[in-house]
Amino acid sequence: MKEVFYVENLSLYYRDFAALKDIQLAIYKNQVTALIGPSGCGKSTFIRCLNRMNDLIPEARMTGCVRFDGEECQVSGYDVIGLRKKVGMVFQKPNPFPMSIFDNVAYGPRQQGLKNKEKLKVVVERALKQAALYDEVYDRLNDSALTLSGGQQQRLCIARALAMEPEVILMDEPTSALDPIATQRIETLIEDLKKEYTIVIVTHSMQQAARISDYTAFFYMGELIEYDKTDVIFSLPKHKQTEDYVTGRFG
Amino acid sequence: MAHKNTYSLSKIDSLTTRVLWIFGIVSASFIVLISLFITVRGVRPFITDNNGLGNVDLWRFLTDTVWLRGPTFVSTAYGAGFLIIQTLYLAFLSLLLSFPIGVLTALFIAKIAPKPMAAMMRGVVELMASIPSIVFGLVGVGFFLPMIYNLARSLGQQSPGGNGTLGIVIVLAMMSLPTITAISEVSIRAVDQSLEHASLALGASPTQTRFKITLLAAKSGIFSGAILAIGRALGEATAVSLVAGNARSGPNFGLFSINSTLTSTMLEGLKETTGIDYDIRFSVGVLLMIVILLTNLILNTIKKKVGNVHV
Amino acid sequence: MSRRNIAQLLLDGTTYFATLLSIIALGLIFVYVFREGGHLLSVNLIRSDYHARNFVGTLREESPGSFPIESFEGDDLFPVERYGIVLQQTQDLAGDTVIRVYYVHEASPLRQLNNQDPTTNERTISLQEGMILRRVSYQEHPTSLTSRGASMMATDMNDSQREIREVLFSLEGGGIRGSVITTVYLIFLTLFIALPFGILTAIYFNEFAPVNKVTKLMRNFIETLTGVPSIIYGLLGITVFVPLTVRLTPASNANLIAGALTLSVILLPVIIRTTEEALKVVPNDHRWASLALGANKTQTTFKVVLKQALPGILTATFLGIGRVIGESAALIFVLGTAIRDQVRIFEPSTSLAVHIWSMMTDEPANIALSSTIALIILLIVLVLNVFIKVTVWAFNRKGSY
Repeated sequence: MKEVFYVENLSLYYRDFAALKDIQLAIYKNQVTALIGPSGCGKSTFIRCLNRMNDLIPEARMTGCVRFDGEECQVSGYDVIGLRKKVGMVFQKPNPFPMSIFDNVAYGPRQQGLKNKEKLKVVVERALKQAALYDEVYDRLNDSALTLSGGQQQRLCIARALAMEPEVILMDEPTSALDPIATQRIETLIEDLKKEYTIVIVTHSMQQAARISDYTAFFYMGELIEYDKTDVIFSLPKHKQTEDYVTGRFG
Repeated sequence: MAHKNTYSLSKIDSLTTRVLWIFGIVSASFIVLISLFITVRGVRPFITDNNGLGNVDLWRFLTDTVWLRGPTFVSTAYGAGFLIIQTLYLAFLSLLLSFPIGVLTALFIAKIAPKPMAAMMRGVVELMASIPSIVFGLVGVGFFLPMIYNLARSLGQQSPGGNGTLGIVIVLAMMSLPTITAISEVSIRAVDQSLEHASLALGASPTQTRFKITLLAAKSGIFSGAILAIGRALGEATAVSLVAGNARSGPNFGLFSINSTLTSTMLEGLKETTGIDYDIRFSVGVLLMIVILLTNLILNTIKKKVGNVHV
Repeated sequence: MSRRNIAQLLLDGTTYFATLLSIIALGLIFVYVFREGGHLLSVNLIRSDYHARNFVGTLREESPGSFPIESFEGDDLFPVERYGIVLQQTQDLAGDTVIRVYYVHEASPLRQLNNQDPTTNERTISLQEGMILRRVSYQEHPTSLTSRGASMMATDMNDSQREIREVLFSLEGGGIRGSVITTVYLIFLTLFIALPFGILTAIYFNEFAPVNKVTKLMRNFIETLTGVPSIIYGLLGITVFVPLTVRLTPASNANLIAGALTLSVILLPVIIRTTEEALKVVPNDHRWASLALGANKTQTTFKVVLKQALPGILTATFLGIGRVIGESAALIFVLGTAIRDQVRIFEPSTSLAVHIWSMMTDEPANIALSSTIALIILLIVLVLNVFIKVTVWAFNRKGSY
């Protein structure tokens, strides 16, 4: 299987606190990789390394190496904006921009200089369809995105990321703020998206990881304890900590 | 509120409450007092014969383009219609200058400047906000009027001592700058960071994010700042009157022509006047309050409309 | 470089430029005011009268002697040995060229002059050091005038051919003592009225007021005061406070009490809001602890809560002082624009800010002295800002223990 990301000896410090310690793992193409672990274990920090969102934290300092498509992407001079175009991100809480539904999805392409209205229309429609939102909003694309329900907003955020035609989509607990029905729709959506995209998802819910992911990484206290196929992690974990966690004994 | 007592108050407490209530009610009544007394005096020139001079015609007062037709102390043909237009024109024109500068300064303080520099800039804004208006007027007269005069001359235009529209606009813009900056900065800082992160994660640059997302998300607060600034500009008196040139007819729109506002007309010649010429200033005051009130109402309505629709 | 990058550079550039403009605007005000008015700033300015009092006198004996004068250093000093004085070419507080009396010999005949001003009762007037010599007239000779300079005047006076007919001199004018005193009076009177009033109102709203529509309406009414322009407060002062004070006090016209009352209304919303914010920060635990000890609510509020709101009250005081010093439009209406040297609280007078307005609306405008006063106001405002910062900082530090 082709590796999209290859992470080697990655450590990250906030001032003196080591948030990630010597992480080593590969993320495979067209697979769903779930990152699990108790709060504060570093899984969100890790996912933010992949599209270099940690650059925004002035005190964060990083060592090690992350390769994206075989190219080291954490060095200075690397095209961060290009990386973020290819690696989309969906956040914990739905965060549509305070503009219309159409403008939300068109935002990314527009910032890249796409002005042609017809082309934008095509891009927006395709993204909304992929995010399984089009049928619900096609007649009110000019309404404010804030009029949508929470679940719809989150799918809009996914559509917004898809409009950039990324290779990878990072999802940081995308369903933690949603009700069970909306959660289920997102999970179905992830299943569909897997065919075309590589997905990395941080989740608090073991069931969710078990349901939708192909690979699972278990983080604990900033360390990657175990990384394997999801069924292995959930049925035959090699480490005791992993077993304790996935069986719900702590966390 | 959590700390409010639910049990019955002791005797001393209920007495305290009653005494303090008097202070509260008096404080709250001042706005009523202002409206009442000034309106009563402001209406008087229209309904009395002003010691035999005849009453002031209300319609003429609201619409005429000349401040006073006929000699002072004899005529009652006052007109303030052009003053309303000029006052609004000057306030909005000054906003045209102060708004972009203020908002961008706020953006710099909230999003670009490193911490110590942001703190310094906040100090600059606070200091500017606490400078009295008379000082702005002085700098307007001493610094800007000669500059405007020379500018007008070099453009082949007439400008009496530099007094007029441009001077007023500059002075008002400088005065409203700190208001706009301070309020915009607060609302820019309050923008949900995850919105900005979402934009960055979509491959937008920090600059694009600031202009397309941050300012958009903060627009309601920024608009409030603008409304406050307009209110202040409409009511500003001393600084404006020093640089206005006090045109007695209008409306004047030219950048180099002398101008006047409701407030500058209230102050004009105040030292040496009595009778109807004094009383009419209260009518102008009432007019000023109405103009400010209506402007605020209209702008707040627009703000609500704009705040709800995202296009 | 792509067009997109250029657009971004342009946007960034505009942002920096706008910030620069904001800084320049502030810098400009300080630099301008300092450059125009800095040279007049002196303790003497604050101590002197604005209106110069004139004296006209004639010599008692027509026989001037010769008075040895010790050597005085300085290019601007011109001794007159015939009359025992030294003249100095200098500028007055308003920046005009004048001749100042630098030294007067003890036995100088100019110390004992016959008063020629019929409006005063004094028989004898005397020329003193620090006074301004305006004009010296002689018998059958042209008069020495200020405009021809101190050197010329000294030469003329030393000329044994000339006999002095009349001397015109004055106290040095252009000072701002009256306006300084007025401003100080206004600050104290206003704070004396507005602080208790505002604090008690804030206590009412934050501690005692019921949570209902009436309270909300009252709050809105007070908040509305903030948006009223100060010129309108001037109208309020002249329709309400001036007649009120005329009836209740010895005042017969505009007066400082009415001015302070007007300013109090202007300050009220500021003081109420600042105090209330400070009261809100006081943790409820402290209220409960006091109540649990058997204290009633009144005691709790005034002994425990109010004490902790002190930094807020201090901030309100500083803000209030700044507002009083800077207020012009309202005071122009309530107190008038006549600059006084003798300040009485039942009479009109000008504060520093109105002093500026008064001079700027004169023909010609006195920009130099106006700038000096503006400089004084700016310095006070700067100090007040620092005080507020220190208050907040000290309070926060204490709070973190």
